[in-house]
Amino acid sequence: MPSRISFGDRIYRGLLRLLPADFRGEFGGEMEQVFHDQRRHTPRERGWAAFLHMWWTTIRDIVSMAPREHWSVLRQDTRYAMRMMRRSPGYTMAAILILGLGIGANIAVFSVVNSVLLQPLPYLEGNRLVLLRQRAVKLGEDDVPFSVAEIADYRSQNRTLADVAEYHSMTFTLLSVREAHRVRTGVVSAGFFDMFGVKPLLGRTFRPEDDHPGAPAVLMLSYEFWKTNEAGDPRIVGKTYQMNDRVHTVVGVLPPIPQYPSDNDVYMPVSACPFRSSARMIANRDGRMMRVFARLKPGATLEQCHADLSTMAGRLEAEYPKSYPKTAGYGISSAALRTELTAHARPMLLLLLGAAAFVLLIACANVANLILARMARRERELVIRTAVGAGAGRLLRQLLTESSILALGAAAAGLLFASGSLRLLADFAEQLTPRAREVHIDGWVLLFAVLCACATTMVFGSLSALVSRANPAEGLKSGGLQLAPAAHRNRIRGGLIAAQVAFSYVLLIGAGLMVRSLAQLQRVDAGFVPQRVLSVGFDLNWSRYNTSGKTRAVARRLLDSVQSQPEVSAAAISSSFPLDPDTHGMNAMDQSFRIEGSVTSEAETPPVANIRTATPGYFQTLGIPLVSGRLFRETDDENATSVAIVSRSLARHRWGVQDPIGRRISFDGEKWITIVGIVGDVKEFGLARQAPDQLYTPLAQTGMVGSILVRTAGDPAALTNQMRRAILAIDPQIAIITVKTLDEVRADSVAAPRNTAQLFGLFAALSLIIAVAGIGSMLALSVRQRVREIGIRMALGARPRNIVSAVIRVGLALTGIGLVAGIAGAVALARFLNSALFETAPTDPGTYAAVSAVLLAAALVASWLPARRAARIDPQTALRSE
Amino acid sequence: MSNSQTGLTPAMFNVLLALADGGKHGYAILKEVAEHTAGEVQLSTGTLYGIIKRLLEDGLIDEVTARPAIPNDDQRRRYYRLTAAGRALAVEEARRLERLVARARSKRLFAALKRA
Repeated sequence: MPSRISFGDRIYRGLLRLLPADFRGEFGGEMEQVFHDQRRHTPRERGWAAFLHMWWTTIRDIVSMAPREHWSVLRQDTRYAMRMMRRSPGYTMAAILILGLGIGANIAVFSVVNSVLLQPLPYLEGNRLVLLRQRAVKLGEDDVPFSVAEIADYRSQNRTLADVAEYHSMTFTLLSVREAHRVRTGVVSAGFFDMFGVKPLLGRTFRPEDDHPGAPAVLMLSYEFWKTNEAGDPRIVGKTYQMNDRVHTVVGVLPPIPQYPSDNDVYMPVSACPFRSSARMIANRDGRMMRVFARLKPGATLEQCHADLSTMAGRLEAEYPKSYPKTAGYGISSAALRTELTAHARPMLLLLLGAAAFVLLIACANVANLILARMARRERELVIRTAVGAGAGRLLRQLLTESSILALGAAAAGLLFASGSLRLLADFAEQLTPRAREVHIDGWVLLFAVLCACATTMVFGSLSALVSRANPAEGLKSGGLQLAPAAHRNRIRGGLIAAQVAFSYVLLIGAGLMVRSLAQLQRVDAGFVPQRVLSVGFDLNWSRYNTSGKTRAVARRLLDSVQSQPEVSAAAISSSFPLDPDTHGMNAMDQSFRIEGSVTSEAETPPVANIRTATPGYFQTLGIPLVSGRLFRETDDENATSVAIVSRSLARHRWGVQDPIGRRISFDGEKWITIVGIVGDVKEFGLARQAPDQLYTPLAQTGMVGSILVRTAGDPAALTNQMRRAILAIDPQIAIITVKTLDEVRADSVAAPRNTAQLFGLFAALSLIIAVAGIGSMLALSVRQRVREIGIRMALGARPRNIVSAVIRVGLALTGIGLVAGIAGAVALARFLNSALFETAPTDPGTYAAVSAVLLAAALVASWLPARRAARIDPQTALRSE
Repeated sequence: MSNSQTGLTPAMFNVLLALADGGKHGYAILKEVAEHTAGEVQLSTGTLYGIIKRLLEDGLIDEVTARPAIPNDDQRRRYYRLTAAGRALAVEEARRLERLVARARSKRLFAALKRA
């Protein structure tokens, strides 16, 4: 061989790298030699053309034969792998099942992540849709609705928006032939659906003429309402309903799309909404109740839009100083709709994806151990194959083929698991984002499954390489694959067990912290007594009860009827109630007020309180304690002095150490209200949130209704039908929205953290089972391998107790190592959970202690079974064996 | 494109033919095939060794263990020769071709060609 090889030969050697390693190993040197000869003998006189021709045919030749040769090796390896797997079905099934669970968990979570976070919105050019927001920074409000006048200004004066559409949602009573329905109604401007690019399933969407004052009232039905309430009637277009004392005609049905900001049953144009279309509303710049969506002009960015809107807001502030007081700090911003739709879901889904990745890691470590155990059993076969000339690379490739077949099988099993559990996950996501209904398995999810399979194959591949190259000198000498010595292999297996324990520990800590946080939440004193209280949410037909006098009168009759039931010990009617899901996060009832005698400067933020209207029995029914002063009386009616009760927080925040009782406040600066009592704080908007500054006014002086609350001696749920009958007897057109016990309401308020804890718990349990099974199977194998040694020790006088403790010691030692690593990992990672935890530190010692105890106990049980088998080994038989 | 009866492609048959009169190394095979077919069958190294691999696997050729004594011979060179099975298959293929040519003659194909 020439000592220095020429450039051409070197290129040829490079080309040969395209061929399978063993082909190269067998013929590579020879091919180089032949090519060298060929080059030397290509007659120079034939010149460049011959030279180029030779290179061209050579390159074409190698490039075309390489895939053929690789394919032939792959086919051979696959046939062989399938034969080996058929020979040990138990191993194959276990590996596919465990990996399948790991991959399945990932596929399931990914399919949600994919549909919710990664896919574009199912609207036309969804990435250009934005949501406009007014803010009143100094009032602490970042989502102030828009008034009709404001929408008109922003629509006509902007330079960056192609379309501007408005939206608000109300509940109306829809009368069909059979009964009264309370329907959530989206009130939208005519271009709303066109802006989103929504094509109707049936009929048409709204047209500009539908928006004109006095236009015939029309409706569009949501897909869900059409399916559920109209049984998907294909001839629905043209059907009429009675609503707000007018005939409404159905003009179209929407396709199943995510509705934002809230789900509605039906949609109407602004002209059909009695509130939005009233002259008073249109003239009042401060009558803010609409949300505004817009579409960016092509090429316009969010930043440009923001600058554009801010300029306009500045102009409006200068022009209408009364509507935009300096004390409120008005401003405007825009946010991409896509970000807005998934803001709550994103952190939770990413956490879950992380948890699922951990399950896969554990499954990988577990199956890696199975593979190692199997490699040990196949040692003889591998040695023989090496002896007949298979190179190390060749055997590695064989092992890799086996693992990729396993992984692909597992990915298929995972897809099955995932499609089975998809509904469950979508229900979970439903609480976080309206996009949950888009969750499905598509090409991206399939690709992800394949990627998971590839990743696991790579893990196994590097592991096989680790084991086979553990002793490179020996490997080189024999020219083949050399398995690491048994001791080294056991170290690797031990390491894998410890890794499983560690990963499992991290997941268990995650689940443990969430459970603890949930327990903390459930322990929270919400400031009222939910037991044995039934709540009935209802809506009056707006058009019939159009004055506060009429509302008060019907409330009086309702309350009398309810109170006359013998089971009812206390009852009240109020505008809403604590933890009412209908008012969650809605600050519509937040109102700023003035305190008599106090001088507030321009720059100072006025005091704000959440307003609740209630009948006198409200506090007794809910068990809200009176702190000082008095509760409402029946005599606090429209003819008496206006009175109010404040919560303890409001009293402290606004009057400090002074007694607010007898002091007066005003909302409008004209009508003054005297404070007559202080009651305890109530967590109105969620157990994890601060009790708001609450101000109660008597229903008899205002006339806002929304719910009936009754306290009973027995089971409140048993009263459901009785309550319905009593209410409908007063007026069959009253729409009953929800009937729930306050215990249920309270439980529902923590549904999202509960479901998250459950999902995390599920993943953690899965990982614990896999890890514990790993410990058990490894010890069982090691006992089987050491039968003879154990036999000798017993023959030499070791007692079964010693044997048991020796085996358990190994199991516990590995668990201990994993535990230490797990604690380190958990401390490092748990801070990512911080935002999801309530009054629970990510390093909560109690959780760490409890999880450690659970893991140790599980490891003890897993070690106990093989230990007992070891102790039962008969020394006679053991010594005779082998 | 392989022959359905013997499973040999023309290139494989040519390699067998090249080895019919004794063991040769790769480059010699390449050269002989090119010369004897007047450049009609052009093997490159890749194709050649693909064929050699298959012929070895099928037991039609084997490696010559006793290398011919050639001064300055490169040790990377390996010499191949026909096995009995390889020879038998080559003969069978040659006969098949012979019969084919005889048929063509009986149909006076060549005469027709000359007249044309």
